[in-house]
Amino acid sequence: MNSEVKENCVMSQENVDAGERLKSEANEYFKKQNYNAAIELYSKAIEANPTVAIYYGNRSFAYLKTECFGYALADASKAIELDKSYVKGFYRRAAAHMSLGKFKEALKDYEYVTKVRPNDKDAKTKYTECNKIVKKLAFEKAISVEDTKKNIASTINLDAMTIENEYTGPELEDGKVTLQFMKELMELYKNQGKLHRKYAYKILLDVKAYFMKQPSLIDVEIGSENKFTVCGDIHGQFYDLMNIFSLNGLPSETNPYLFNGDFVDRGSFSVECIFTLFGFKLLFPDYFFMSRGNHESATMNQMYGFDGEVKAKYTAQMAELFTEVYNWLPLAHCLNKRVLVMHGGLFTRDDVTLGEIGKIDRNRQPPEDGPMCELLWSDPQPQNGRAPSKRGVGCQFGPDVTKKFLELNKLDYIIRSHEVKNNGYEVAHDGKCITVFSAPNYCDTMGNQGAFITLKGKDMEPKFTTYEAVAHPNVKPMAYAHSLLSLMC
Amino acid sequence: MSDEPVMATNDDASECKRGAVQLGYWQDNYIPYFVRQIEKRAPEINRGYYARVKGVERFIKTFLKKAGSSSQIVNLGAGFDTLYWRLKDQGVYMSNYVEIDFPTVTARKCYAIKRNKQLLERIHEQDGEVKLSATDLHAGNYHCIGADLRNISQLEMKLQQAEVSFANPTLFIAECVLVYIENDCVNRLLGWIASKFKSALFVNYEMCNMNDTFGDVMLGNLRARGCTLAGISFCKNLETQKSRFISNNWQGAKAWDMVQIYYDLPAAERQRIEKIEFLDEQELLIQLFQHYCICVGWLGTEFADISCNGGD
Repeated sequence: MNSEVKENCVMSQENVDAGERLKSEANEYFKKQNYNAAIELYSKAIEANPTVAIYYGNRSFAYLKTECFGYALADASKAIELDKSYVKGFYRRAAAHMSLGKFKEALKDYEYVTKVRPNDKDAKTKYTECNKIVKKLAFEKAISVEDTKKNIASTINLDAMTIENEYTGPELEDGKVTLQFMKELMELYKNQGKLHRKYAYKILLDVKAYFMKQPSLIDVEIGSENKFTVCGDIHGQFYDLMNIFSLNGLPSETNPYLFNGDFVDRGSFSVECIFTLFGFKLLFPDYFFMSRGNHESATMNQMYGFDGEVKAKYTAQMAELFTEVYNWLPLAHCLNKRVLVMHGGLFTRDDVTLGEIGKIDRNRQPPEDGPMCELLWSDPQPQNGRAPSKRGVGCQFGPDVTKKFLELNKLDYIIRSHEVKNNGYEVAHDGKCITVFSAPNYCDTMGNQGAFITLKGKDMEPKFTTYEAVAHPNVKPMAYAHSLLSLMC
Repeated sequence: MSDEPVMATNDDASECKRGAVQLGYWQDNYIPYFVRQIEKRAPEINRGYYARVKGVERFIKTFLKKAGSSSQIVNLGAGFDTLYWRLKDQGVYMSNYVEIDFPTVTARKCYAIKRNKQLLERIHEQDGEVKLSATDLHAGNYHCIGADLRNISQLEMKLQQAEVSFANPTLFIAECVLVYIENDCVNRLLGWIASKFKSALFVNYEMCNMNDTFGDVMLGNLRARGCTLAGISFCKNLETQKSRFISNNWQGAKAWDMVQIYYDLPAAERQRIEKIEFLDEQELLIQLFQHYCICVGWLGTEFADISCNGGD
């Protein structure tokens, strides 16, 4: 994209003219908000005549519009390098810095503009605003204790995102998810296509808004003749998720599902999985449920691949938005007041009630201890009593702990996930603690089966369906840094 | 059947090692000269390589202690291993150090050495000359030679060029090498070494316990990458690993799986590296550890009492 500036070269009139023509053409596309086309033409203009600061300045502006802040910054800097008197260059660089959160740097450039153009009111305004932000950040840093809550969602400007003519993927109808959209989306994903970021962001914003209104414990009612399906960890194994739907039917009002956390990380298709699940959530909000897993957290996502995958397929900003959305995922579901479902397990304290779970202030990263942590991290153990978790977080709880908890809360049994099982599921604690794990051949390595649970409202008896892994495309090895296919060889 | 996929395992291993070094699992100032930085690997990979490198290192230290300055090291399928430079840095003196790999691989290694002063300096200290061909490099007591381990006569000739002494105590190192070679070639290689060397220790890091689901999946994954594991039958369990030496006239053999090797490493060190990356669960790592082993074989009596908690 970046052409080398040939120093001291003499431009032919032809090239000069061509450059100007291309720039005008590009400007037209820019006015119509077709930024990608504008970028292409500015690039051609630069090829024809790499000495014009304005071409870089304008391309920088187009990059800002398409959120390519790194490129925007590079172009703005180039524009300034070519012509220090081109004041807009400083503006563009300041804007790029602002978008990258580098407010101090932005302030420097705004300051320069106000010095060079002392009568420019706009420059003065921008400088003042930026200065306010810098001061505010410094103040916040000085008084901050922990967890300063950013609100990325409020900074997303969907209107500024345009759909290029070349995009052939599914489109939201009036900003809403339909069954048609979901079918097209799954087809797109099977063929390794990408959902346009405008719709991706829309789904995230809508699903965040939805989850924000939910309590931390969701009560689910299942009619006596109705079926309900509970799935465990998916871990980015999109093709196995599609297999679940082909075995058990697509989600619908008559075929409700609960996915019990760990939708992403480890597998190579986490993005596809999460948008499929969030899409169904928006389509059937009262018949499709999602519970938070320990992998719906920032540290896990950074280490086990999801963060890398989102940044590769979309942007860092979207990765941050995911963190915000995950913070609002409910922590547990209670089915027909008889079966409690959570990702990890039970607690270090004996007296935890459903009421307490429902009131957990969950809009945060999972803490290192306490009920919210334990819901996401604990594991059952065969022997009575409790023990520190072999994972180092949460606890291990025995059959007596499960029994007491169920009695206290008038429940029949719990369903949880979190641990890979050879047969995809395991019944423990005398039938009172069931593990279901839905990612077969976990990490392309373990050779395990996956499983899901179906039950009928009237008896709530769990039935297990197990299945083997299905084939998936081999993405570039180590694409998102989590594949164990490299092993040790 | 192409050897390319097997050669590519060197790239994989080297990249993984560099990644782990980058995160602080162990120190290796030289690996960046050979291998570019790659995206982060899963934490299990980093811990697995830590155990591999440190496990093999213990046996190297034990060998050097016993063998002293007349010691000789022959690194089979060495790839981009940096052991020579690291030992030099530690002031360890050996009479001879020989690395062997496919000529395609050694060519790249020699090229990297030629281009980087820091690597050249360490091998070129005395005013001896550096003999360089496209695939081979001889400098002082360091030799990097391109050869096919399946071709014993070629190997013998190349080792003679490297001034290998059959009388000196010799350490043979192989990290996931023999498994890619047909059984009769391996038997010939080990038999030949046994016939020539008086006192030797062979340290073999490799797969083992392959007769289960995890093993099946691992084999499938490796085969899908074009790595036909011709020598896999020796990787069935620790017994078959040892038998490979015994049946080829080695005096004795011992083997440990990586669970044993890892947990025999100093507790303080294990605690240090376990803090570098948090493992959300242990299942995968334990499975990996159970399916790899270090097997040692010896010739002569000097190394017969070797154990996996070697002196530090």
